[in-house]
Amino acid sequence: MKTPNIDLKELKKLKEENFRERLLFLEKYAQWVKKTSNENWSKQQRDLIE
Amino acid sequence: MKLTFSNDTIVLDKDLNALDRFVLKFTAILEQRQIRFVLISGYVVILFGRNRTSEDVDMFVEHLDFKQFKDLWNTLTDEFECINTPNVDDAYTEYITKGISLRFSKKGTFIPNIEFKFPKVELDSWTLAERKPLLLNGKQLFISPLELQISYKLYLGSEKDIEDAKYLYDVTKEHLDVELLNEFNTKLKTTKLFRKYFL
Repeated sequence: MKTPNIDLKELKKLKEENFRERLLFLEKYAQWVKKTSNENWSKQQRDLIE
Repeated sequence: MKLTFSNDTIVLDKDLNALDRFVLKFTAILEQRQIRFVLISGYVVILFGRNRTSEDVDMFVEHLDFKQFKDLWNTLTDEFECINTPNVDDAYTEYITKGISLRFSKKGTFIPNIEFKFPKVELDSWTLAERKPLLLNGKQLFISPLELQISYKLYLGSEKDIEDAKYLYDVTKEHLDVELLNEFNTKLKTTKLFRKYFL
């Protein structure tokens, strides 16, 4: 099987971009939790964890 | 765990969890529309039984033009909503084609969500091209080649990622292409880590 070329510099940049996107998501999620009733956000969390 | 590797397809029957059911709902729409996708990263490890969960499920989806994307959007949004934006034009021009992932959750919820992205680099395109079919309780999924998942998790390098890689390796090692795994470890410079923790 032919494997792809891997540019580690490019990959490092991508990793950093993904991390920033993830932080943005967490920011949005935290805002959503703050404005959502405990009943609602905790139900979603429970459904996911159980 | 009973895992069957048959004709290049991995067959897995298990008690489905909420994340599995969510993924199957979303991917059924892609399958129905014959849109190529591949599941990557943490969900692949969870799929194989690692005892953790995740708020998001990462996937690469083949590049779609705006019409294809809009058609898909119209179907998806019967059941799902896009967390980034409710507007299909923005979703396409301001996010997905600029390399920013779109996140889709079930309507009225925030988690879990699908992190939907087009391939950006050659490695992403290879993952999509070389995806492995997996039948989960008879339903069709596609996952990244396991050899790449293991090396890539090592490359990411956090404790969680190394644990994921270790688990995935241990649970599937009898079925792995060792040559391919070694090649990815060489290319990603993860051979030392692999030897340190896995052998």
